[in-house]
Amino acid sequence: MALLLLTPFLSLAVFGLLATPAGFLPFRKSKLGLAPFVCILGLAIALVSTVWLGFTNPSPVSFGGFQVDLFTLFFSGVLLIVAIFVTIASLQYMREDPNKGPFFGLLLLSTLGMIVLAASMDLILLYVGWELMSIPTYALTAFRKKDPNSNEAAMKFFVLSALSSALIVYAISLVFGVTGSTGLTAIASSLSTAGPDFRPFGVLAIVLFIVGFGVKMAVVPFHMWIPDAFEGAPITIGAFLAAGAKMAAFAAAFRVFIVGISTFNVDFYSTFAIVAVVTMSLGNVAALMQKSFTRLLAYSSIAQAGYILMALATPFTVTKVPLGLAGGLFHVLNYAILKTAAFVAAAAVATRLSARDLDSFNGLSRRMPQTSLSIAVIFLGLAGVPPLNGFFSKVMLFTGSIYSPYSWGGYLALAALINSGFSMSYYGWVIKRMYFDEPVDQSRIPEPRVYMAVLWAATILIFAIGLYPDPWIRLVQGAAAALVPPLGH
Amino acid sequence: MVGLLSIAIFLPAALAAPTFLLGRKNTKMAKILGVGTTASVFAISILILVVFQYGQAGFQLSESAPWASTFGLNYKVGIDGISLPLLMIATFLSLLSAAGSWDQITFRHAEYYALFLIFETGIIGVFTSLNLILFYLFWEIVLIPMFFFIGIWGGPRRRYASLKFLIFTYSGSAVMLFGFLALYAWTGTSAYPGGPSFDYDVLAARIPNLALPLQLAVAITTFVGFAVKLPIFPLHTWLPDAHVEAPAPVSVLLAGLLLKMGGYGLIRYNLLLFPKAVSVLWPYFTTIGLITMIYGASVALVARDIKRMIALTSVNHMGYVLLGAFTATVAGVSGAVFQMFSHGLAVGMLFLMSGYIHEHTGTRNLEELKGLRGKMPQTVSLLFLASMAAMAVPGFANFISEYLVIQGALSVSYLFAIAIAAPALTVGYFLWMLRRVAMTPPVGPKNDLHLHSILILVAFLVPLLIFGVYPPPILGSVITPTVEKWVGTIVGLGAR
Repeated sequence: MALLLLTPFLSLAVFGLLATPAGFLPFRKSKLGLAPFVCILGLAIALVSTVWLGFTNPSPVSFGGFQVDLFTLFFSGVLLIVAIFVTIASLQYMREDPNKGPFFGLLLLSTLGMIVLAASMDLILLYVGWELMSIPTYALTAFRKKDPNSNEAAMKFFVLSALSSALIVYAISLVFGVTGSTGLTAIASSLSTAGPDFRPFGVLAIVLFIVGFGVKMAVVPFHMWIPDAFEGAPITIGAFLAAGAKMAAFAAAFRVFIVGISTFNVDFYSTFAIVAVVTMSLGNVAALMQKSFTRLLAYSSIAQAGYILMALATPFTVTKVPLGLAGGLFHVLNYAILKTAAFVAAAAVATRLSARDLDSFNGLSRRMPQTSLSIAVIFLGLAGVPPLNGFFSKVMLFTGSIYSPYSWGGYLALAALINSGFSMSYYGWVIKRMYFDEPVDQSRIPEPRVYMAVLWAATILIFAIGLYPDPWIRLVQGAAAALVPPLGH
Repeated sequence: MVGLLSIAIFLPAALAAPTFLLGRKNTKMAKILGVGTTASVFAISILILVVFQYGQAGFQLSESAPWASTFGLNYKVGIDGISLPLLMIATFLSLLSAAGSWDQITFRHAEYYALFLIFETGIIGVFTSLNLILFYLFWEIVLIPMFFFIGIWGGPRRRYASLKFLIFTYSGSAVMLFGFLALYAWTGTSAYPGGPSFDYDVLAARIPNLALPLQLAVAITTFVGFAVKLPIFPLHTWLPDAHVEAPAPVSVLLAGLLLKMGGYGLIRYNLLLFPKAVSVLWPYFTTIGLITMIYGASVALVARDIKRMIALTSVNHMGYVLLGAFTATVAGVSGAVFQMFSHGLAVGMLFLMSGYIHEHTGTRNLEELKGLRGKMPQTVSLLFLASMAAMAVPGFANFISEYLVIQGALSVSYLFAIAIAAPALTVGYFLWMLRRVAMTPPVGPKNDLHLHSILILVAFLVPLLIFGVYPPPILGSVITPTVEKWVGTIVGLGAR
């Protein structure tokens, strides 16, 4: 029966392997072929089983270094929603592409890598998940073979990503050297008694982990690849990288730092706090200067990563419920929905106008009213306006930070709030362009139904979570408690 | 059990979607649904007036329900003598502004009225909510429709003005939110049994035990948020732009209601929540109020655009609210609340009138409006009355409120005698405006307002005159009992 717990993973693995050959098979004379439908089926089975497992089996079950608990299921749910949105949007975006089989197959396998990452309690498994997630995304970023931008983006992404993988392996080897184990719980108990001789190695390992994860989480100063990669990659893959890969990296960081390293007597919280403030500030300021919509989304995603980092800057031992951590997880969920939807909206505009620059958004509300409305809602959500979903996760994050035993906790929250207020300037600016400026061309543009389906689903979720956050707060609190069982009680 | 307040709050928002969908093809339908909804909400508020128990101090018609109770958020609403007058002008001005929009808004009606209804939900929610996060939620709901009102239906510089408005007020709210979250965290420690909470009554009970530096931190951050909305000098620069660029009915909402959110927040969430901090901070706050009063009046004196002049009267008059509130005397606080009520009506009337004048003459420039008496004789006589109200001529409610504020201020310190300069300046710029617009030889063909527009304008005057001549129904039996109860609890200032 324990095997049932692995349904999401098995489904992705099986359908992921099937999707590539299925790409060569026709499907009811449709131009799309069989691959996308295999992909959607695999994701749907995985999502349904994840939700079902979440309701029925919240107590953690461990398979060696592989742990299925509420934290795993939470991240698996978030990442699968992202993958489903990306897949559906890709139905339209990749319609003309002849290589659909590999595209959807790689998408599934990368998703599998992400949720393995969330489930891993062992550093070796974590590394396997990390690579399983990363390698397909290089190919996906470079998917437009003949587009030099796509190739350049993929190359830049690949080099930095490979570097981050190398750093993580080195960090793992150091941790193994200090503790003699790769299991996170064993590492935790070993580090709590580690003598002063091991300290330099432990600190070095922590630094390497921060840099390694930081590249994928795109925190400043390891964020350089993000704007180029998002600009060059197919837009739906931009969504996958921004909302999927990035959040999976956060899952790994949560596991490693909170389960494994938090017992080590090193103040990494202050480091994360500084990185968080720098990240959100730079992201917000740079976003204001962008002329391309996807680059603006890239910098806004850097800023949002700064907010989520606050969860790692808040020691979770201070309250009965780890509020900051729960808020961080909640923001992962909200950010994933908002960002995926934002990229899908960008794809909708790009396919119709074949432009990504912000000037083509002038007067968009007259030309593509549904897309414009959803972009407005998404942007207000990202800015954290109530009653949209981004508000409550930010409130939890910031309150958690004020609760922090560190005296800088309040200042961190204040910095984040000022950033949040400042971010309205570029979100509002885009809304201003869409609604207040006059379009050059007044003609109405038909809005592709596939995109609209994703955008409406996302908009409804944004409002639903924002208007009645209670069940979601319970969910993230459960997930947060699953991450820190010994301290949560 | 859904109570009257919840109906008043959510009825407009619930009808926003039908208004948008039905009104898209049929403009008249949008107008009817928009005005009809605001009228029914006003009817509900009349019902609230009937049910309200006068002369009592506590919260009435309270409702509460769990919302996100895992995080200390509850849906809690209720009104007392401070919120009732504001609730009444909220529903009344919404109705009059919606009616005034009938002629003055000429395109995209469905979107306009749908946003209008969402705005009304927000503004009623602000004046009735008793949970800090619920308050913040409504506070922000007001912001978004206003951004679109200015940006879509505004004047030539609408894009600049709307974005400036959004960034100023949103940043202010972010700082204010910090105060709320800090309050939640600092009163949510194990020293306070019952767990952390955002509920107003729970916090009001806990705050006296909070250390003074923490109280000061929260009081100052929330003050910044409210002060941007009020607005105070030097955070007021969004106001002239927003008010001038907004269409006239929206300026009514801006000056009549949006600014009152700042004043209400200052009284409810600053003065009454942090008596200890206020006893330290009041000299600074009242001084800012005094500066704002005199600055607003001086700048209004040199305005060339009639709408800009009216916008700056708001800066002038909202300074009284700040001054009166932080004298923490019964007279001062009652005067501040009453000032919000009467200023909302007077300035609302002036703004709507400026819209009509602009529509009929094609200009708002005071020099070009010379001889308006010839073109719009009835409007000019109404302009006289509205100006008299804004100048606080005895007989209008504004006189009583400004008198009370200055009385309260003088009872605290004789230095506040400077405050008397403000009404003098106010009279100065209004008379000068009237001298240029109305007391010049009449010019041009007659082109006056329709009867229904006149009636809308007269509707503003009715409560101003009634309560100006006989204030007890609102002052003695609604505002003062509540203020007396709260001000009695203010430690350190109680002696006065």
